[in-house]
Amino acid sequence: MARMTRRDFLKASGSAAFAVSGLAGCASMGGAPTATTTPSELMPTTGRRVIVVGGGWAGATAAKYVRMEDPSLEVVLIEPNRKFISCPFSNLVLSGVRSIGSLTFGYNGLREQHGVKILHESATAIEPDTRRVRLDRGFLSYERLIVAPGIDFQTEQIEGLAAAGDRVLHAWKAGPQTVALARQLKEMPDGGVFVMSVPPAAYRCPPGPYERACQVAWYLKTRKPRAKLIVLDANQNVISKTALFRAAWQAYPNLEYRASSKVVKVDPEAREVTTEFGDKVRYDVVNVIPPQRAGAIAVQADLVGVDKRWCEVDHVTYESVKAKNVHVIGDSTIGIPVPKSGTIANAMGKIAATAVVNLINGRPAPQMPPANVCYSWVSDSEAMAVVNAYRIDNGKVVQIEQKLTPGQSTLYAQHATAWATSIWADILA
Amino acid sequence: MRALVIAAALAAAAPAAAGPIDAPGFTKAFSCSACHGRAGATRADAVPSLAGMPAWYLKKAIDDYAAGRRPSPEMEPFSKMVKTLGVDEVAGYFAAQPREASQIKVDRTAVVNGRAASATCAACHGEDGRGDAAKGTPDLTGQPPGYLLNQMKLFKAEKRSPGDATLTSIKVFMKSLDDATLADLAAYYSSLGR
Repeated sequence: MARMTRRDFLKASGSAAFAVSGLAGCASMGGAPTATTTPSELMPTTGRRVIVVGGGWAGATAAKYVRMEDPSLEVVLIEPNRKFISCPFSNLVLSGVRSIGSLTFGYNGLREQHGVKILHESATAIEPDTRRVRLDRGFLSYERLIVAPGIDFQTEQIEGLAAAGDRVLHAWKAGPQTVALARQLKEMPDGGVFVMSVPPAAYRCPPGPYERACQVAWYLKTRKPRAKLIVLDANQNVISKTALFRAAWQAYPNLEYRASSKVVKVDPEAREVTTEFGDKVRYDVVNVIPPQRAGAIAVQADLVGVDKRWCEVDHVTYESVKAKNVHVIGDSTIGIPVPKSGTIANAMGKIAATAVVNLINGRPAPQMPPANVCYSWVSDSEAMAVVNAYRIDNGKVVQIEQKLTPGQSTLYAQHATAWATSIWADILA
Repeated sequence: MRALVIAAALAAAAPAAAGPIDAPGFTKAFSCSACHGRAGATRADAVPSLAGMPAWYLKKAIDDYAAGRRPSPEMEPFSKMVKTLGVDEVAGYFAAQPREASQIKVDRTAVVNGRAASATCAACHGEDGRGDAAKGTPDLTGQPPGYLLNQMKLFKAEKRSPGDATLTSIKVFMKSLDDATLADLAAYYSSLGR
């Protein structure tokens, strides 16, 4: 549908770095090519431009939908990773039920089907006053900006975590850490202890840590029957699908859950974590999911609130309450009564894209609420779900209803797979 | 020719190229694609395709889900949401989308067996499986086999539309068949229209 010229394709394809640095080189030829030269516009605008920072669930969806809804707009997506790896379903990699390859996708669909120009680089700063996004080599101008930076870890909140490096894994951004943690679990001796920590809310994917506990416990039960899983939760109770997870855990006597057990220290030499109450727990394999905040670029651009963690936005347009023409979507947002889920990120991507397209064209943004479904796998074959429906009331997102599946089943697992198949395509194809 | 020139000039002057955003219902229906595929044309096995679904049937399904007559923890909240957004626009949008048959593979032997077992189904869903608005029966053709099989199992277990007297005959029929035959029927109806 969206046609691309050969020139567009070259600019947007894998040769983007070459093409762009070529342009930057031309631009600097007229001036003094020194280290102090004012960085130049990296790509001349071919018209009205929307920049999307971050190509995850929210950002990639937004980039696609802006182009789908108004092919006359230029969309530049800035995303350092060349592959999209799905966080949802990545707990199944730990249990060996799925491969990381089955969760890994390229960005070719966005380029070739939708004409999104993609720069696999890091945005280093956002300048709302001049409507520019900075990269290492220069800047790009925008008419409207969509920021979808996801989450970053507050590593400093856990003593010893930064120094531990790769010896203590979070595996909370699907990728090499997921594969490494799966390997550690596989190599753990039968009779060993796997310790995982759940961060204080709010964090990415509320049911995710408890689903992970199910997957690790299922793996241990079937492969290492003498091994044990200890879940140290910073929260006072399971914070999502509480009764359903508690019921699912009945099948896992090897799972020990400790509420109000915030991990404050990790010592990879002693292979030990310490909770805020001073309890020390020894491990053979540890998985520390650290406390979280919005992605670093949102914090640097001061899009976050007084808590310095999350970004508040308008409930209809997703425009930042702190910066004009800057829309923030996905896990980095707060204040809308929705979970930090993949489905919500996808929904925010569509709604923000629609708002941006309308606003750029001088029309009001339609009042569209998001919708949420979160599936959690409790074994290799059964899943359960929480569903949230919303409406907009006086310009604010309000929940109509939350509903849980009555339990876990293979039917819901089929639905989970259908959801993943569909939403991955909705984001990238 | 002159009309063409004028049309071209108008198109060039338009502030935004008319895209899908201008299709009635597009925005109200775009949440659905997270599970049901782009424009309701699913690539998955366990959810129905909505593309090209007659508006009367989609509206009935939304009404039944929202009221709890067709129990679904997933679709009940979403159906209430669709009703607040405007079910007519959403149903109209999907009805206007090109129908695409499921690409999920079906076993040829199952299709042959399913065809042989389909005479009873045809009485209400038609010889071609395309359904009959007058009888209130939906078009089964080209739907994903997993979705069709799950629906038959739900009827059999009295979990779809429990207590609905108008559906007694289909439930009795489903209970008379083993699951392998249900799978054959699913393969057959999914294969139609491909």
